Amino acid sequence: MKNTVHISRRGVLAAIGSAGAAATLGVAPRRARANTAPAGRVVVVGGGFGGATAAKYLKRRNPKIDVALVEPSEVFVTCPFTNLYFGGLRTFEQQEHNYDELRSLGVNVIHDTAQAVDGKAHTVTLGNGQVLPYDKLVLSPGIDFRWDAIEGYDEAAAELAPHAWKAGPQSRLLREQLEAMPDGGLFIMVAPPNPYRCPPGPYERVSMVAHYFKTHKPNSKILVLDAKDNFSKQGLFTDGWKKFYDGMIEWVPASKDGKVIRVDAKNLTVETEFGEKHKASVLNVIPPQKAGFIAERAGVTNESGWVPIDPHTFESTQVPDIFVVGDATVAAPMPKSGFVANNQAKVAAAAIVAALEGKEPPQAAFANTCYSLIAPDYGISVAGVYAVEDGKLVEKAGGLSPRDASDEFRKLEAEYGVGWYQSISQDAWGTGA
Amino acid sequence: MKNSVIKTAAAVAMAWLAVSPAAANDATAQPAQSTFDVSVQAATCFTCHGTGGTSPGSIPSIAGRPESVLLMQLKGFQADPPPAGTTVMNRLAKGYSAEELAALARYFSQVSR
Repeated sequence: MKNTVHISRRGVLAAIGSAGAAATLGVAPRRARANTAPAGRVVVVGGGFGGATAAKYLKRRNPKIDVALVEPSEVFVTCPFTNLYFGGLRTFEQQEHNYDELRSLGVNVIHDTAQAVDGKAHTVTLGNGQVLPYDKLVLSPGIDFRWDAIEGYDEAAAELAPHAWKAGPQSRLLREQLEAMPDGGLFIMVAPPNPYRCPPGPYERVSMVAHYFKTHKPNSKILVLDAKDNFSKQGLFTDGWKKFYDGMIEWVPASKDGKVIRVDAKNLTVETEFGEKHKASVLNVIPPQKAGFIAERAGVTNESGWVPIDPHTFESTQVPDIFVVGDATVAAPMPKSGFVANNQAKVAAAAIVAALEGKEPPQAAFANTCYSLIAPDYGISVAGVYAVEDGKLVEKAGGLSPRDASDEFRKLEAEYGVGWYQSISQDAWGTGA
Repeated sequence: MKNSVIKTAAAVAMAWLAVSPAAANDATAQPAQSTFDVSVQAATCFTCHGTGGTSPGSIPSIAGRPESVLLMQLKGFQADPPPAGTTVMNRLAKGYSAEELAALARYFSQVSR
């Protein structure tokens, strides 16, 4: 069956002609709707966990819907599992994914940046000036940084003190700096305030850098200066750090002057709220965050900088026919994770397909599992099941790996973490890992 | 080509609607705010167990396994302590009603590997 899908969709694309595919997108569905089965035009902005999944599940649910995916990168690099690259446990390339499967499903993949959205006219304007009309729009824009939040930390400073919180050249830069650092150096991480992409991510990164130091530069130290007083999976991380990296990692909460307010990237120096200065050998600043810029331009963000949504469908509460998924949304108690973006995208896709067919949206369902790796055979997780009750998202069940779990349990969760990455990569992009 | 497109559409539709009887039965147990579609709920499982429940990696596949076995396992995961070797499913399974677990077990039993 799979082969039939590929051949027939390619056949359709070939018949349209690759050059005409984008132009046809705007015209064909209206005709098709008038005399044959219901269809529609959906544009998806962003090709990460949320966007790629949305495009795929729109096609899976109704192949007759015209789906265009707008994503600047031909090869997408995921943040999840990039921490293992810092630990020396994976190559950079193992986090790369392409859009071949989406193309084979008939998705019109356009490698450009969405620059503007007109919610009234129902159009998206691309960097090259092309205008894409839509019936329904999915935005999966991820995050952008608040470059004005920490004095001295702007895009130029990030070339010296990488954030590496969007995977790609920034990740390679941080890895190169760690490799070039002499034994006995100090790695400083400036950890962000809530809410931000991937709550346990900074602390998994600390674990993986510690693993790299332990195996290659055992006299080196790690200092985490945090804008928060507690963090995701804190007890489990703290236990793991003591077990594997005792004495190497110091974590300073905001209440103990951990909040950094000034960065001097040239001198790799940071200054805290109460004026203490720390000098790093390698400096990783993860700044405060907000929804990706296209969300703001589309008018779907609120004063928080994030996107409020209807939890039944993930349609914007501010602009009709725009659905927003992933890190950009206000969806607590669900975390800003790849798993959640993938899950929200499936709910949005089902709601859009139903709406285009003139039906009510199906009942939404959500889950999350986030694995973190502390050492090669030592993984931990947080999980949750979510539902909409009285119009609000609630956690039905969930929790952390037990604090007293056996080494065997931790080893299984390390293996399942890898399994999760393989499964979600296949689910979103159709790519192995 | 036309035939293959229709066949494809039919096959895709079948894959997704294979369990509509289960969905219809279960709808009575759900809040009336919107229709229950087991494929939406099942898709939350795909993220770890693979698209359609066929896993490419270390997490077990669940597609095409007997309904009774799947249901017994899902109920088992809810117990404290859960069966030996259980990790995250003890925390996740508790988020589903008996009706939802039954619908999921039926859904995955009817998906071919």
